[in-house]
Amino acid sequence: MASGAVEHEPTMGTYIAIWAGFLAIVGIEVFITYRHPETKHLLFILLILAAIEAFVGLLYFMHMKYERKILFWTIVPITIFVLFMLDHVWADAYRLLYLRLTP
Amino acid sequence: MSESELTMAAAGHGAAMEESPYGMQSKKLAMWLFIASDAVTFTVALVAYGFLRIGSPDWTRPFQFWPSIANGLIMTFVLLSSSLTMLVAVRAAKSGDKHKSVQWIGFTILLGIIFAGLHLREWFHMFADGWGLFKNPTGGSADFGAAFFSVTGLHLLHVISGVVALAVIAWGYNRGRLDANHVETTSLYWHFVDIVWMFVFPLMYLMNAQ
Repeated sequence: MASGAVEHEPTMGTYIAIWAGFLAIVGIEVFITYRHPETKHLLFILLILAAIEAFVGLLYFMHMKYERKILFWTIVPITIFVLFMLDHVWADAYRLLYLRLTP
Repeated sequence: MSESELTMAAAGHGAAMEESPYGMQSKKLAMWLFIASDAVTFTVALVAYGFLRIGSPDWTRPFQFWPSIANGLIMTFVLLSSSLTMLVAVRAAKSGDKHKSVQWIGFTILLGIIFAGLHLREWFHMFADGWGLFKNPTGGSADFGAAFFSVTGLHLLHVISGVVALAVIAWGYNRGRLDANHVETTSLYWHFVDIVWMFVFPLMYLMNAQ
């Protein structure tokens, strides 16, 4: 990431490569789904692939890579922190311990 | 007058104001903050879906590859392509090519409408098959309909809002009332909607594929 806002942007070739990469990842997701892995494994793989897409999209399509670093450090860690607390720590998250996992 | 003061003066804020530490206009920063809050909204919806799914012993996996997953793949292709057309529109706007920018925003709007159309067509087919917010024609958990239509409906609402916003921005930009910064700021929202779909498709469709 740049320390100051810069005007440089990726070329259209880079954008198209990322777009093709996203399509490839979606194809991989479908392929893995029809290999019928265990539900929790499928969930883990799909979330990792989706997170990769989101991060690349954030950096390149939304140009966060080319903004000042302070924008990234203001928005991303705090949002992830809130989402983590919401999903894993705050009171309702503990209900998961008492729910059943379907096959 | 320093360079930063000149920048702020040029942006209409006067020389007395400090430069933003983010080095961007307030509307763009506001959009980033909105996106962060909207990310939380979508996460809440998806986590709620996870809770319903884990808590339902008779969860239904209704989606066959044809037509549901295939339709989802086409929708994904359309939405991803709309991000690409939006990137072209922003580049054109930044280089001052207003005609080209408006044209590519138009393509983006068209792809957004196609996405919404495909989504609604799928919904109506599901309604015809007996699915509903609280209905499951297979006899399994009715929570599937609640989760599916809530999450995809929330996303569809964002797509439709984005189409309207893009149309307003294109109209204003074409008439000279708005500038390239408005196009860029609106593009952030559109890309965000695209990124959200990268989670909705695998979690709502692939995780429920037969």
